[in-house]
Order: sequence, then structure tokens, then C-alpha cells
Amino acid sequence: MNKAHLAPIFLAVAALVAGCSSTPKTTSLLDQARSDYAVAQGNPSIATHAPLEMKEASSAMAQANVAANERDSDDKINNLAYLAKQKIALTQEVSKRKVAEAEIASAGKERDQIRLDSRTNEANAAKLSAEKATLAAQLAQSSAAQSQREAQLAQADAANAQRQTQEAQARAAQLEAQLAELAAKKTARGMVITLGDVLFGTDLSRLTADGMRSAQKLADVLQQNPQRRVMVEGFADSTGAADYNQGLSERRATAVRTALLDMGVARDRIEVRGYGESFPVAANDSAGNRQLNRRVEIVLSDDSGKVIAR
Amino acid sequence: MKKITRAGLAVLSVAVLVLTVGCSSLKTPATADVAVSKAAVANAAGAGGAQYAPLEMTTAREKLALANQAMVAKDYKLAIELANQAQADAKLAQNKASSVKAQAAADVLQDDIRVLREELDRPR
Repeated sequence: MNKAHLAPIFLAVAALVAGCSSTPKTTSLLDQARSDYAVAQGNPSIATHAPLEMKEASSAMAQANVAANERDSDDKINNLAYLAKQKIALTQEVSKRKVAEAEIASAGKERDQIRLDSRTNEANAAKLSAEKATLAAQLAQSSAAQSQREAQLAQADAANAQRQTQEAQARAAQLEAQLAELAAKKTARGMVITLGDVLFGTDLSRLTADGMRSAQKLADVLQQNPQRRVMVEGFADSTGAADYNQGLSERRATAVRTALLDMGVARDRIEVRGYGESFPVAANDSAGNRQLNRRVEIVLSDDSGKVIAR
Repeated sequence: MKKITRAGLAVLSVAVLVLTVGCSSLKTPATADVAVSKAAVANAAGAGGAQYAPLEMTTAREKLALANQAMVAKDYKLAIELANQAQADAKLAQNKASSVKAQAAADVLQDDIRVLREELDRPR
């Protein structure tokens, strides 16, 4: 009875023992190594960057697995698992290093490019500022030249003005001298030259030789002062008919004009007036005074050529 | 007697041969393994392993010392195991140092680039 009951129990124990012996052994270190290995296998960077190290790790892993399957001692399994684990860690480090090195290479290139860009920018800026400076220098130079030209022009103008002033002064002095010779008198209307009765001939409308000399001096003055004009005014005394005296004064004035025209003075520079008995310079009460009234007055214009009429 | 002597000699010589082969096959690789580990540890130290991978470096040195002790104790099997582990640790330390240094260099470069870019983009 007892023996018959014991038989199945022994069988069961035997079966359990047999079953256990066929199950692969494992250790925590081996589990750790297997887990690390799975992670490494899932990392594409390791396949790319550390294929040789991965091969060695795989081989170490396989040795550890074989030892486990063959139920070797814990020491042997752990030894092999440790080697596998460290070799797997090695693949991680090698892969990290390669990635970092690639990064260094590309970053180096990038840095060089940025430096180049920076230099290019600096060079461009320098070029721009140099161009600006050149332009400014050219502007300054041209403005300096312009100033110099203007200064020269101003100097020339000043010299010219001085010369003109000197010439005008010389002309004025000369005119004054010539007019003094003609016994000119300064009046409100300008310089007045009086040609007296004695300078006219007996036919009353022609100048005597002395009269012609006076006329010549006047013509010289007019030629040297082309901007000046003359008003020739004839006067008579109160003796005789007014009509006659009017005609006489006109004829004498005309005689002076004719003389001046003959001497080359332009016609439009000479105006002629006859005033007859008007504007006496003395009372007509004596022969001497009447002779003073019989006269021709020549009014010299100012520089603008205007003569104020009576 | 003579026969016995011959047979005894043969057995003896076979035993000696087996022992010699066994000893040399154990002792010689152990010496080589320890030497290789020693070189690996030296390389790792030269590459800055102590600074960048202190844990792995310490482990490698300890295991190398233990391997040497095992050699003195003539436990060649243990010596080979320890030497191989020390070698794996040293290699890992060396590569860790390399990868850390490379990463640091890459970081410096990236920093340089950032500064340069800021300079370039700065309005003039």
C-alpha cells in the first residue's frame, strides 16, 4: 500500500528534476547584460558608428548565453555576462564619440563659414567707408578748387575795379583840366561852357578861329568821354525884333553843332536849343552887358548822358 | 622487471607531457592576458580615464591587482578571468574619456558658433 502510493511521487519528483535541468539558468548580471544588449541593438547610431565593437559585444553576449544554457557555474556565467556588459557599454561610448566627432567636423566648417561671412562683412564695410572717404575727399578738393577759383575771380574783380577807379579818376582829372581850359562853370545843371559873342564871325552863324579852337577842345572832351552828351543853347540880347533874335540864337547854336559834327562828334550826342532874348546873364542896358547876353552856352551832361533842359 | 620498467617509463613520460602541456597552456595565456590588461589600463590612464571615467578606471585597476595576486597564487584560471574583466573595464574607461572629450569639444565649437552668429547678426 505504502509502496504503491510512493511510486507516483517519485515519478513526479524525477520529472520535476528533469524539467528543471533543461530550463536555462540565469543571473541578475546576465539579465542586465541582455537588457543593455537589446538597447544597443535598438540604437541605429551604434550600427553605423561602432559595427566592429558591436560584433565583439554580440560574440561576448553569445558566450554568456551559451554558458547559461549549459548551466555552467554562476561564477563563469557572471564573468562572461560582465565582459558582455562592458563590451556593450563600449559600443555606446564609441558611437557617442563618433557622433561628437562628426559634430565637431561640421561645426568647424560652419564656424569657418561664419568667420568668412564676418570677414566679408567687415571688408565690405571697410570698402564702403573708404569709398565714402574718397568721395568726401574729392568733394573737399573740388570745393577747395572752387574756392580758389572764386578767390582768384574776386581778386581779378578787385584789380579790375581798382583799375577802373583809377581810370575814372584819371579821366575825371583830365576832364577837369580840359574843362578848366574851356573856362567851364559848375552849375546845378552840370558843367556849362560859355562861348562869347567874340567867338562868332560877322555873318553871325560861323565860329571864328578862336571859336573853332574852343569847339575842338570840346570835341576832344566828348571823344574822350563817350558817355557824355551836350546841349547847345543859343542866346541873344534884347536889341531888335524877337523873331530875329530867336533865329540868331538858333543859328549860333547850330553853328556850334556843325563844328562839332565836322570834328567827328555823333549827331545824337548833340542837342540844340535857341532861346532868343530869354535868360539874359546881364541887364541889356549897356553895350558890354548886351555882348555878354549874346552867347552860346554848352551844357555838358553827367556820365549817364542826361542833360536837364531849362 | 624490464618490461615493467618500460611500461612505467612510458606512463611517466606521457604524464609529464600532459602536465607540461596543461601547465603551459594555462600559465602562458594568463601571463599574456595580464600583460595585455596592464597595457590597456595604462592606455586608459593616459587618455584621461581617471578624470572622465573614474568608476571604470578604479575597477580596472583593482581587478588588475587581483589578477596579479592570482598569478602569484598560481590560480591561472582566476587570473585570466580578472585580467579579461580589467581589460574590458580599461577599454571602456578609455573610450568613455574619448567620447566625453569629443563631446566637450563639440560643445565648445557650438558655443563659438553661437557667439559668432550673434556678432554677425548684431546691427551695425
